[in-house]
Parts: sequence; structure tokens; C-alpha cells
Amino acid sequence: MGDIILTMKGIDKTFPGVHALDHVDLEIRRGEVLALVGENGAGKSTLMKVLTGIYKKDSGTITYEGHPVEFNNPREAQDAGIVIVHQELNMIGHLTVAQNIFIGREPRNGPFIDDAKMNADAEKLFQELNIEIDPKETMSRLTVGRQQMCEIAKAISHRAKIIVFDEPSAALTDAEIAQLFKIIRDLRKKQLGIVYISHRMDEINQITDRVTVMRDGHNVGTMLTSKSSKEDIINRMVGRVIYENPKAQSNVKPDAPTVLKVEHLNAGRMVQDVSFELHKGEILGFAGLMGAGRTETARALFGADPKQSGEITINGKKVDIRSPEQAVRAGLSYLSEDRKRFGLMLKKSIAENSTITCLPKYCRGPFIDKHREREVSRKYVEELKTKTPSIDQMVINLSGGNQQKVIIGKWLIGDADIMIFDEPTRGIDVGAKQEIYELMNRLVSQGKSIIMISSELTEILRMSDRILVMCEGRITGELDIKDATQTKIMYFATQRA
Amino acid sequence: MGNDKKAQKRKSSLTRTFGTQEVIVVGVIVILFLFFSLASQSFRRYTTVVTLCNYMYYILLMAIGVTFPLITAGVDLSIGTGIICYSIVGSYVISQMHMPVGVGMVVTMALALLFGFLNGIIIAKLDLPPFIVTLCTMMIVRGLGSILAGGLSGVWPMAGSPGSWCRSIFKINAGGKIIPIGMIWMILLIVIMSFVLRKTRTGRYIIAIGSNKEALRLSGVNVVKWQVAAYLISGFFAGLAAIAYACTFSNITPGTGAGLELDAIGGAIIGGTSMTGGSGSIFGTFLGVLVISLLKTGLPYVGLQANWQQIITGLVLIGAVTMDMTKRHKAAG
Amino acid sequence: MEKFKNQPFVKAIGFNRLVLIGVIILMYFLFALLTPILHGGASFLKYERVLSALNYAYFIGFLGLGVTFVIATGGIDFSIGPVMFTSALISGYCLKQYHLPLGLAIVISLLIGVVFGILNGYFVAYRFLPSFITSMASMQIAKGVGSVFTKTQSVTWPAAGMPNSWFRSLVRWGNVPTGLILLFVVAAICAVVLNKTKAGRYILCIGTNKEAVRLSGVNTKKWEMLAYVLCGLLAGAAAIFYVGAYTTVQPGLGDTFNNEAIAACVMGGTSMAGGIASMLGTVIGALIVALMQEGILAMGFTISYQYVLTGIIVLVAVTADTLSRKRKV
Repeated sequence: MGDIILTMKGIDKTFPGVHALDHVDLEIRRGEVLALVGENGAGKSTLMKVLTGIYKKDSGTITYEGHPVEFNNPREAQDAGIVIVHQELNMIGHLTVAQNIFIGREPRNGPFIDDAKMNADAEKLFQELNIEIDPKETMSRLTVGRQQMCEIAKAISHRAKIIVFDEPSAALTDAEIAQLFKIIRDLRKKQLGIVYISHRMDEINQITDRVTVMRDGHNVGTMLTSKSSKEDIINRMVGRVIYENPKAQSNVKPDAPTVLKVEHLNAGRMVQDVSFELHKGEILGFAGLMGAGRTETARALFGADPKQSGEITINGKKVDIRSPEQAVRAGLSYLSEDRKRFGLMLKKSIAENSTITCLPKYCRGPFIDKHREREVSRKYVEELKTKTPSIDQMVINLSGGNQQKVIIGKWLIGDADIMIFDEPTRGIDVGAKQEIYELMNRLVSQGKSIIMISSELTEILRMSDRILVMCEGRITGELDIKDATQTKIMYFATQRA
Repeated sequence: MGNDKKAQKRKSSLTRTFGTQEVIVVGVIVILFLFFSLASQSFRRYTTVVTLCNYMYYILLMAIGVTFPLITAGVDLSIGTGIICYSIVGSYVISQMHMPVGVGMVVTMALALLFGFLNGIIIAKLDLPPFIVTLCTMMIVRGLGSILAGGLSGVWPMAGSPGSWCRSIFKINAGGKIIPIGMIWMILLIVIMSFVLRKTRTGRYIIAIGSNKEALRLSGVNVVKWQVAAYLISGFFAGLAAIAYACTFSNITPGTGAGLELDAIGGAIIGGTSMTGGSGSIFGTFLGVLVISLLKTGLPYVGLQANWQQIITGLVLIGAVTMDMTKRHKAAG
Repeated sequence: MEKFKNQPFVKAIGFNRLVLIGVIILMYFLFALLTPILHGGASFLKYERVLSALNYAYFIGFLGLGVTFVIATGGIDFSIGPVMFTSALISGYCLKQYHLPLGLAIVISLLIGVVFGILNGYFVAYRFLPSFITSMASMQIAKGVGSVFTKTQSVTWPAAGMPNSWFRSLVRWGNVPTGLILLFVVAAICAVVLNKTKAGRYILCIGTNKEAVRLSGVNTKKWEMLAYVLCGLLAGAAAIFYVGAYTTVQPGLGDTFNNEAIAACVMGGTSMAGGIASMLGTVIGALIVALMQEGILAMGFTISYQYVLTGIIVLVAVTADTLSRKRKV
């Protein structure tokens, strides 16, 4: 292990409503692979985005090769030799591999681009990395794994000294992962500093030298990989003090009927053979890390995305759901995690948003009964305690919590019995969070059934009667609330089937 | 079993060299050609070739130009009324202001480039939808030609007058037979623009804009500059098409031209340029324009006049775009 | 100024639209002033001028009302002008050739508009084709169909005094501009449909955020298609008002009217991004377009100036709309 190439000290970054990084220190050494782990929202991606110039830090210093540095955009960081290989690859699909690698700095032969030289240079790069990719191949034709290797080659061609890998193995086959590790080991030999963000414990064990754990925006410790067990790491990831006790036991009656049964749901890579049941009056928590497939499962169930197979039974009757229209008719509702993009018509009023799921109910013939529409929107604004001067207020002007209440209201007005909440309290302040929890409890006591997808373990433990954990498209664990702990959930969440 | 494999191999080497779409289009061209030849005796005369080339000149030039905005996932609707406007202004300069034909050509090109630049800069800098912006320039250009030329129809020098050498760029009269030598220039332009698209930074970045504009921006490239370049190219070729139109036909009626752009755009799409951006080839555009021109030339010989052509062009355009969309949907999904 | 803006009467009509009405009045006086100067001796202040301008406003107005529905969903329809002409051609041809009663001819005109609306709507809503290319293609088809049907002949509708000419009184009855009354009546109906019915609500919401509406369980394809069908219907209606004023229709024309109808629409406050639309604004916009056309011709300029101005107006309106939206968010 070599000397320190980069230090981050006291990095602080706040977004509206969220203290993403709280005085974080980090040390990257030459010739070392540093694992960076933490649950969703722990701050690892944010920290790396600050490092590579995508975000600007609020305070703190970065010292690189002995000098303090400040990167204003990714290009500056790139030119300095700090590169990030993103989870979502930024490739130009219609161009070839070599053209992508050298985009923006093409070698020229008079007025023409010297493709031959580019191809030769790319070939040399691939040889150095021991990868076999044809530089003349069109990018979109490559598998995700091989596209990623191109991105690595591109990083090397920028004479990178530090490479950050953000969840690199998520879309790779086992063979490709082995190849990736070979490349990383070569890079390590060449004395690069490598940061490896991942939640896969076995990989961390295999390829990394040290592990830095982040939790709630803090760096909670760095350990030698060889001296840490999976349990050690998981414990640090979740080892927070919980101020609210988790739910003691399930509130679901033992004889409660099954309101929803999903069997062998398959929708691409993210939803593989998912089967589960939901009981009346139950809050079923769906836990897992980002990319586990929970939203994709919900959307496939709701008919929002196409599925390859899957039988859905609601209240004992088999239903055919191939569009949200059919899902809503069957009594389902889905509250998107991206509220602004999929849940609301931002430039429309609360009243107009509220009745959109069941407008025919508020019509007399072809005409909208605006009186009744306003009446029912007002009723739910009051009941849900939505803070707004009037129901004619455009929802874009409401706070996150109140926007969520409008969305909940619209599904209640639509009389949905089965409600799927996807990240119900994301971006919502503490006070409003409480209100939404109380609301959800009230709903199930009134006979509704809820599926709650959440990345916040405290929330999962506080609200769920039962917990299903997903990892990379499969359900990997089921826990009754009385047996559930953060550690157990995280264990399943990192358990690749 | 062995025959299957051989047939597969044969098919894939052909399509690999030229692309599946282009092979289909060539097939369509052959079918159309055979159909018209068999259906009408008059089609089989030499004059048909001349008529075909007359169409090809201006449509192909427009289409080569508009391929570039299309590849950026944009469009240029102003080229249709554009070629009429630019050539009328050129005609005014030549016949009313008594300037040499060369000057008329320069004026035509200058006007075309000006509007190409305006289109590009408004679309790139203000981030407005290309179809609206070029629709507006289409309207403006439509009226402008008439205003600048005082409402007169345009005629570029006809055979016999001093400036008529402009017509012999495209056609020469060799002992009674008209030879469309303009096709030589067309082939040259196809080759040159093919190179520009595939081997210069201009073409490379234009493809990248249509494929993933954000990724290109993150790579530090000045996206605005190259997006403007795409529309400048479109304007440039609209100018060339204006000259071609003027030197091929006689009377140019002001205020017309709306609809000509659809022939060009349709040709490009048939030839494999996708409305969603990122893909397209000049050779493919040439093939697509050949299909459109064949239809325009051949349909009258089977008794279907201009009005049927419009119906068929419209249907062909919808068909081509539908196929394009289906292809992209399948690839994405 | 704020006090004025908050008056109930101002709020009912809309401040922007009052500004537009002001623009109309200003334009009128400007033309009245300039016409004698620029066009030696001609006068703008005659009632006949007003009626002549109004004749133009009627069919543009109907086209504009129709395309407002489509733009409200975030789409566009370039086929409206040629569809209008084709409807007038085919129904007029049938009127003469087959001696149909006028009422039936009017129905045929409406139906033809609906057919093209269905064509456009199907490809845009169910096949996800971009609306501008679809409607441009159907524009060509419409031009061709009209021409083929009448064997490239123009069609003349019955002149005043002849049998089957009562449609003229829809445009003008004696000295009363009945067309204007009907335009406002139909605009009011369209406004009611847009703002007070289920269909209108869905249309506006689709234009605001189609995916959010789809995820709320609404069959967005159906309602998006309806917008195009309504547009076609109104284009068919526009045909009657065109022939009521101008009698003869020629095949193959009509696309300049597209631009003017769209200009009327965006001037009146309808946003090209979708979700915000005003029928009253469209009507006022149509009046402006018509007045502008009349004034330009009266002052001795050619129709080409109209084309240029229309293009500039749409560009300015769309730019202003886009910039204001970006600033607000």
C-alpha cells in the first residue's frame, strides 16, 4: 500500500431538507482499493460527486497530491486525473467504442478525423488492460458489462490517477465481474487509487484492501478488509441509535384474508420470479437497497410497465392487469417515488389533481360537477391536514409533505383498497412524516391494506407488520416484525440469491 | 441444414455491408422500376430518365441537407418554401437588377445560409422545439421571397440567353438528346457529405447530439456550436437545391413550395435516418429520395396525376415514420 | 395597475385577453389612419371593411378552436387547412352532382373532418408518432384526396339567391354578421367542453403531464385521440364558413391557413407545451389575424406581408411562453 494521494477533510454538503454530508473525512491511497459502503442516503454517492466535481461542497478541503484543489465541474476533475465510472453509463450509443473513448479530443488528419489512429490507440489501451473489445464495434451493441470496460478504458486514457467505481458490478455477469477484478488488480499494481462503492459483501472481501463505512452523512469508520467480517460491516452500516422503538408486533389479525396474491411475477432483470401475499389491514414493508427491484415490481404489478409473466389474484379473484387503468379498476393504487414527475400535475390545482383517478364519479353526464369536486377535495384537505390557503392552489407551490398528502387524498377519493406507497416520506420534513405515518395506520385500521416500499430502515421497522427484503430482482428474505432487526434486513438486502 | 447456414451467411454478409434497411429500399426501388416499366410503354423511354433527374436534383439536395438536423433528432421544415424564396430572390437580382447569374447564385446561397443560421441559433440557444422554429421560418420565408422580388414570378436565364450556362450545370443538349450531367455533381456531393458525416468532427458531433446530447456536453464539447452547424448545412443545401430547382424548371411561383420539404424528409427517413436521432447515412438518403422521385416520375405514366402523388407521398411518409418508431420502440424495450 | 387586474370583470376575461382586445382596437385605428395615406384615397372606415375582415375571421376562428384542443394535449395539427378545403370540395361536389339537400352536405363536410381527425389521432395516440409529422403527412393526403375526388376541378357552392344557399345566412344575414355570432356561440361551447366536461379536463391534464394521468388509471390514448377528432370536426365546420364567404374552393391549397390558425391560438394564450388553453383567446387571436390581413391588403401591401408577420408572431409567442415557463419553475 502506497502513500496517500488524496485527502478529503471536513466535507459538508446540504441539500434543501437534507444534510447529506456532515463533516466527512476520507483518505485515498495509491495502489489501494478502498471500499465505500453504506445504505441508501448514507452519502457515499454524494461524497464521490463532490470529489469528481459534479457537486460543489459547502465547506471542507480536498488535498490532492499535496496541494489543495477545487473542482468546479467534472471536466476539471477529469483533467486532473480523477475520474468516476458511473452506475448509469454515459455513452453515446450510436458511435463506436474508439469514437466514444476519444470523444472531444479526436486525433486529426487534415480536416478528417484519424479513425485509424483512434482505433490503434484504443487497441493499445485495451491490451494494457487485458480486455478484448473491438474498438470498431458500435457502443450500443455491447453488453452493459463491456460498455463499462470501455468507460474504464476511457478513464485510463485520461491518465487517471484516481478511479471511482459506483456500483460497477450491478449489471455484470459473473464472468464479466472476474474480468473487472483482474483489471482493478492491474490498476492497483500501477499505483492508482481506487474507490469501490458497492453493497456486495463478498466482492468487497475479494477485491478491496480497506473499507470505509458511511451512515447518515457521517464517516463512521475505516477498517482493514482482511480484519473485518460481513457482520462487522453491516453493524456499522446500521448501528444507529433508534429513538423510536420498532413496532413490537404485527397488528394483523391471524385470520385476516389475503387481499392480494402475486405469483411468479417476471418483468425483466429487476423482477425475477417474485411471489408474495398481502393481508387485509396489513402494512407490508418492502426493504432493500437501491436497484433491488422494488419499484419495478410495484410498477409491473400496477400495469405501468409490461411484464413477461405473473398471476395476480385480488380478493380471491384472478385479475388481468396490463395497464394502470385495469389496475385502478381492480382496486389498486400506486404512489410513485418520483412525486413531481409521475404523481402530480404540477401546474394544476389541488382540486383538479384530487379527482383525476375517478373523475366519472364526480360528473353529471359529460359535465364535471365542480361543486361536488370542490367539496370532496376540501374534505380530504381537512382530513389529511394539508396546509394550503385554498384548494385552488397549484400543487407546485406546496411543500413536499403537502404534495404527498394531495396524492394520498386522490387515491382515497378513488376508493383504492390496496395502496402501494413507494418511498412515502422521501424529501418530507420530520413533522409531516409523523402525520403520514399516523395516516397510514389509520388507513389500515379502516380496512385498507398497504405495501410500503422504503429505503429507510427506521421507517420499515416502525411501520411494517411484515417485511419482505429484495436484492437484485429477487425476494431474498421475509421477516415478521417481532423478529426483525436492521442487521437482519441488511443481511438479506446484500444477499445475492 | 448446411444450405440454411449458407443462406444465412450470404444474407448477413450483404446486410452487414449495406445495412438491412438499405437492402429493403433497393428492393423497393427495383420493384417500383419494374412495375412502372411493365405498366406503361411510355415509361420505358429515355425522357423518363431526364424527368427523374429533374426531380432528383432539388429533392436530393434538400434531403442531403435535412439529414443533418434529423440526425440531431431535430428537423428543418423551412427548406420547402425556402428553395422557392431563395431562387426567386436570385431571379430578381439577375433579371431585374441585371446582375450576372453568378451573383444571383451568391445571393441565393447567402439568403439560404442566413436562414439556416437563424434556425440553428434559435433552436440551440433558446432550446425551442425545432419543428416550431422551422415552421415559423417557413412562414416568414414564404412571404419574404415575394416581398423582396416584388411579387414577380422568377425565371432564371433560359436556353439562348447569356446566363444560361447555369442550366448546363444540370443538363446539356448533345445532338438532340438531353444528358443530365448534373448527376455527376450529385454523386460527388453524396461522396463528400458522406465523408463529412462519418469522418469529420462536424458529422461526428452531430451524430453524438442526436444519440446522447448530455453525454457529449459532459465530455466538454460545445454542443450549441455543432447544433447550429447542422442547421447551417441544411440551409446550405437548401440554397443549392434552390439553384437546382431554378435551373431545371422554368417558372418559379412565389409563395409556393410548402410540401416540398416532405419529399426530402420522407426520402431521408425511408433511407434509414431516424426521427429519434443518432442514425442516418447520405447514401441511404439518396436511395430514399430515389424512391420518392421514382414515384413522382412514374405515377403519371400509370394515370395517377399530382393529386394521387400527394396521397401516396403522405401514406408513404406515415408508413416510413411508423416503421421507424416501431424499430426504435423494439430496440429500446 | 394591480387594482385593475383584480377587478372581477378583468379576472373573468383575463388580463392578457383584454390587452389583445386593446390591440385590436389600436390596430383598427392604425389602419384607418394609414390606409388613405398608403393607398391613395382608399378608406378603412367603412362597415364593408369590417364585414370583409370578419369573413376571414370565421373560418380561421373555427380552425383555431379545433387546433386549440390538440395543442392543449401538447400536440399540433398541420392538416387543418387542407382538411377544411377537402371537406368543402367533397361536400360541395356531392351537393351539385347528386343534388343533395344542403343539410346533408353540411353533415358530410363535418364527417370528412372527423375522418381525418381519427386518422391523425390514431397514429399520434396509439402509435406514438410525433404529431407534427403525422399531421403533415395527413395534410398531403387531404390535399390529394380532395383533388382526386373533384377530378382537380374547383367547386363552386350555390351563390346567393339560388336554391340551397341558406348556408350563406350563417355567415351574413342582411347587414348582420351572423358568422360572428355563431363563432362566439361555438367558441363558448368549446370553452364549456374544455373547462367543464370530463373530456376537456382529461385533454388539459394530458397536456400537463401525460404519464401522471396514465398512472392515475386514465385511458390517455382515448382522450388524446378525441382532441384530434374534435379538431377535425371543427375543420369540417370551418369549411361551411369558408364557402359561405368565398363561394369557390380550389383543390391543393389551404396550408397558409394552418399557420394563421395556430398563430391565433398561441396569441390567445394557449401554450404549445400543453395544459393551458383558452377558446376565447383563440377567437380574439383569429380576429386579430383577420384584421391584420384586411389592413395589410387595404394599405396596399400584398398577402406575403401577412405570411411574414404570422411567422414572427408565432415565434415571439412561443419564445415568450417558453421563457416565462422556465422562469416560473
